[in-house]
Amino acid sequence: MESRNLILVLTGIAVVTILIIGGLTVALVAGGGDDDNGGPSAGDDDGEVDLGERIEGELRLFGPDPITLDPACASDAGSAEYIVEVFGGLVSFDQELNVIADIAQDWDISDDGTVYTFNLRSNVLFHDNSRPVSAEDFKFSMERALNPDTQSTVGEVYLDDIAGAEEFARGQADEVTGIRVVDPQTLEITLAEPNRVFLEKLTYPTAFVVDRNEVGDSTCFEGNWTLTPNGSGPFKLAEWDLGQKIVLEANDRYHLDPMPSLERVTYVLSGGSAFVMYENDEIDVTGIGITNIESVRDSISDEYREGPSLDVYYLGFNTQEEPFNDPAVRNALSMAIDREFLASEFLLDLVVPAKGILPPGIEGYNEELPAIPFSPEDAQDLLDEAGGPDILEDVTVLTSGQGAAPSDILQAITTMWEQNLGVTITIEQEDFGLFLRDIDEGNFQMFSLGWIADYPDPQNFLEIKLHSESSNNEALYSNPEVDALLDQAAEEQDDEARLELYRQAEELIVQDMPWIPLYHAKSSYLVKPWVEGFEVPPFVIPNLRYVTINR
Amino acid sequence: MPTGLATYIARRLLIVPVVLLIVSFVAFALGRLTPSDYVEIQAGPRAQPETIERIREQRGLNDPIPVQYVRYMGNFVTGDFGTSAQYRLPVDDVILPRLWVTLQINVTVIVLTWLIAIPIGTLAALKRSSFLDPLMIGIFVFFASVPVLVSTPILQWLLASEVSLLPSGGWAETEYFGVEMGLLSKKAILPIMLMTLPGVAGLARYMRTQVIEVMDMEFVRTAQAKGLRADVVVTRHVMRNALLPIVTLLGFEMSALFAGSIFVETLLGIPGIGQYTYEAVGTRDYDGIMAVVILGSSMFVMAMLVVDVAYGFIDPRIRLGEGLGG
Amino acid sequence: MSTFEAVGRLEVGRPASSGVRLLRRIARRPVAVAAIVIIVIIYGAGILAPLVAPYSFTEADLLNRNAGIGGDHLLGTDNLGRDLLSRAIWSARTTVIISVLSLLAGGLAMGVTLGLLAGYLRGTVDAFIMRMAEIFYSVPTLLLMLIINASLRTRVEDWGEWLDDKTRQGWIEDYASYFLVLVVLSFFGWPGIARIVRSQVLALRESAYVVAARASGASTPRIVFRHLLPNVSNLLIVALTLSLGGFALAEVGLSFLGIGISGHPTFGLMISEAASGPGSITYVRAHPLVILVPGFFISMLVLAFNLLGDQLTDVLSPRRR
Repeated sequence: MESRNLILVLTGIAVVTILIIGGLTVALVAGGGDDDNGGPSAGDDDGEVDLGERIEGELRLFGPDPITLDPACASDAGSAEYIVEVFGGLVSFDQELNVIADIAQDWDISDDGTVYTFNLRSNVLFHDNSRPVSAEDFKFSMERALNPDTQSTVGEVYLDDIAGAEEFARGQADEVTGIRVVDPQTLEITLAEPNRVFLEKLTYPTAFVVDRNEVGDSTCFEGNWTLTPNGSGPFKLAEWDLGQKIVLEANDRYHLDPMPSLERVTYVLSGGSAFVMYENDEIDVTGIGITNIESVRDSISDEYREGPSLDVYYLGFNTQEEPFNDPAVRNALSMAIDREFLASEFLLDLVVPAKGILPPGIEGYNEELPAIPFSPEDAQDLLDEAGGPDILEDVTVLTSGQGAAPSDILQAITTMWEQNLGVTITIEQEDFGLFLRDIDEGNFQMFSLGWIADYPDPQNFLEIKLHSESSNNEALYSNPEVDALLDQAAEEQDDEARLELYRQAEELIVQDMPWIPLYHAKSSYLVKPWVEGFEVPPFVIPNLRYVTINR
Repeated sequence: MPTGLATYIARRLLIVPVVLLIVSFVAFALGRLTPSDYVEIQAGPRAQPETIERIREQRGLNDPIPVQYVRYMGNFVTGDFGTSAQYRLPVDDVILPRLWVTLQINVTVIVLTWLIAIPIGTLAALKRSSFLDPLMIGIFVFFASVPVLVSTPILQWLLASEVSLLPSGGWAETEYFGVEMGLLSKKAILPIMLMTLPGVAGLARYMRTQVIEVMDMEFVRTAQAKGLRADVVVTRHVMRNALLPIVTLLGFEMSALFAGSIFVETLLGIPGIGQYTYEAVGTRDYDGIMAVVILGSSMFVMAMLVVDVAYGFIDPRIRLGEGLGG
Repeated sequence: MSTFEAVGRLEVGRPASSGVRLLRRIARRPVAVAAIVIIVIIYGAGILAPLVAPYSFTEADLLNRNAGIGGDHLLGTDNLGRDLLSRAIWSARTTVIISVLSLLAGGLAMGVTLGLLAGYLRGTVDAFIMRMAEIFYSVPTLLLMLIINASLRTRVEDWGEWLDDKTRQGWIEDYASYFLVLVVLSFFGWPGIARIVRSQVLALRESAYVVAARASGASTPRIVFRHLLPNVSNLLIVALTLSLGGFALAEVGLSFLGIGISGHPTFGLMISEAASGPGSITYVRAHPLVILVPGFFISMLVLAFNLLGDQLTDVLSPRRR
């Protein structure tokens, strides 16, 4: 059949289409395209992706989409990261983790430690400059967080020290009696009992101030004011393109020194690998994980920063039930894990092997604590005395996750148990909600979990997680001696004596081994040379106002 | 003719709400049967179990499923699509921008697929005795055989990291004439490429079969015998008759692309509806999931309906024969 | 599942070629032979996995993680030091089980039966079956699969455990995930085949020999299975060949979404272990083997099925010879 012309035409169409696509690709690649900031730029000769001109004084970060920007409701670090920059509270942490005055100018604590009188600054305005932040706003905000109608899961957790908070949270009172507005500049908070860490708890977003005119009676779930929040923090939310980017702009009336020096901060929410974006100069700071640490150490190591992260990753036991009610069995499993290997070979020194519960960098961290031994023989002996490998038959370790395979670290640990003790321990994955419920209800043999500090105090680890009466004591650990030490520490006024008590408690706990502490993470970052003043935060604190861009 | 077609359309239209009701109820019930809900998942490690239980009660998550369903649908028909638990924002605020992102990608992909597949398929048919046929079809069959979950990380690694030609993923939109567009950004290249290439083979193969079939038909042979030029025959008769059945693939293509979106958007970190869907199931974003289910189903149902009707309009025999979709 | 749709229209009403003639014709086509060889190798390795795999699929060589090609591990190891080749071979075994079972349950049992019934009986049965097919077509399939997995997985595993206790077996719970994947694949896989079969049956229904059979008083099942089924078999062979590739491909996607087999390696599991999100690129970049090995095998297998499907179409269709 003679159809040469047609074939030519069709070939033409296909070729032209492919050429157009190819041409567009080349044009975009060479021409720099548009992207984030608009405005074309000259193509780079080194073939790197160039994503357009940058704005003077702009810091570009990679971030997650926050679950919520409502301070009363946020319970995750991803949300808190933005909230601490946009909103403010009475007090906050500085970069050295001291509690400093924020919207409160100063405060008095009564001799019995129960009445806190805060004097507010008069020059703190909400971002829209409509009015100054008053004591009334604080009372509204804290009551809102506690109000059952707000449906916050964290209100009670962080504000329960205040007198009358529990009654109000249960709907048995019309107001929180412990929060009293003396005058617009003075707020008086009365505690039910003295608490050493109350001020630290106030640095958490739950106690931050929101604009009652904007928030009204919206709940944690309904309402969309968080798209345009009227905060009082060092930065204003200028733009939130869901899933794409969050833009913060400096609050030029900010009340603390130093004032933010950055013009704006752009968080890229979408996108490929943060690490590759950093390599391609799309962002200025990136966190580092196991998968990319190798390339970092070879190439750009002078941009590498690390600091402690106040956390601990551990395997918890059900200490009330067979076979793990026997400390010998728990210790046997612990001694069969090569933490050094895990930390250095497996996690490439991104973590420090744990010696106890408390992470390095926290007040009261015990340098002298000996490393938990790794000794397959002793572990074997211990286990044999306690009943032999048979008692560990059918044991499962519970972990959260819905992906296909459980974490490599957990698999490596079970492999070590298999190789060193000859026991097969199964990993069972559950979705996060079910996992938490099972742990709460004691419906497990072992579980894998991490704990990140809310505030830098040993109490936040030892008392909250391991006191027999704490609701967060999932391992159901109960040692009267430890309880007594923790109770004593809670009331001890002298700092050194208090930390000593915590040290003693920690030593006892490590002997009992209700948890197998595995490691403490480090915060590892890469920071471009033109970013100054970026300190690696051990947990979420307002950090951006110290940063400057210098190129 | 008009009455026949009208009843046909009416009958097909009547099915739409039934389908939607069944699908939405099944999805709703299955969703609520998950072992834990969004309140528990988001509560944070320190929340008290009593607080969680109280909030679940307040949010009506303890009610019987049919009660919850009726309440949901009641709100839905009044235009209240609920709250996206994943973002604590109204569902429409969350979904619409994402839908726009996915639409930009997927429509481009469909157009490109057709622009490549139709000439390739026709060429392969016309050249079916030469090496060109198996070569062209073979290349695209290869593209169709590599799972996107394999091709995405590999291309990402090669193009974004090894040679730094393209961004490693993500999405950025710029305003053109008042419309936020992301297509002109370099970030759009990788997803479009990854989603277009696997789709070509199926369509090209189908086109090839159609063209061969039409070319063997009596009227084409007659036209050829009458001495009409070959290209005229092919464009006038063959292409037109072969293209018709291809249109029917549109509906399937849309649903296949939606599946592809879940993978590609998740792996490339593109904030489209596919990525949202994947995350929404993980976070038990009930209202968000329902919105996607209802939206997706209506779009697929409507696409198939339009295709069927168009097809029936063009070729009345189909209508009498119960319709392609039936 | 759109592979079903991509099958060209085949000639209707021709009796199936005899097996020998078919084989002889296929043997003359190098592409088809190559495809069959690939399938035989991968399926064979999978079926014989316990014999041919150099290592066990769980054996973690912690001192030899992310090893390269050569050395103790022919195709390298993954992040836990598990032999990639062995895991790929065991994955092939899972693929064989899953795709063959899905083919039997979803393709043949549900698809062909329902298609035959709808086409032959017509009327309400037809309307009902085809409306069902339509519903399955109009849902966002993957999303529904995700939801099903999220809500039923724990339950299915619990049932497995319960059955284990009742029957004093120990293996049922381990295979609960197979059951779930199988149900999901066959449930959403049948409408494609059913539609193809039905449309062929509709055309055949009025053909001379069916009319004759009916006139001679043959029962409905007899007509359906003796007369109609053999006549749609050409088409079925092609559709089912393609669907084997489709199921293998589907498994990869399902595993990524967490709707996977647990306890045994699969290609999808290996791939999603290597690349689970945007950040994985640096891992893939550092250790490309983890994605290249499973990616290569699964792609070859799917390619082989696709090519074989094409070749069969050509062979079985009289006009295109």
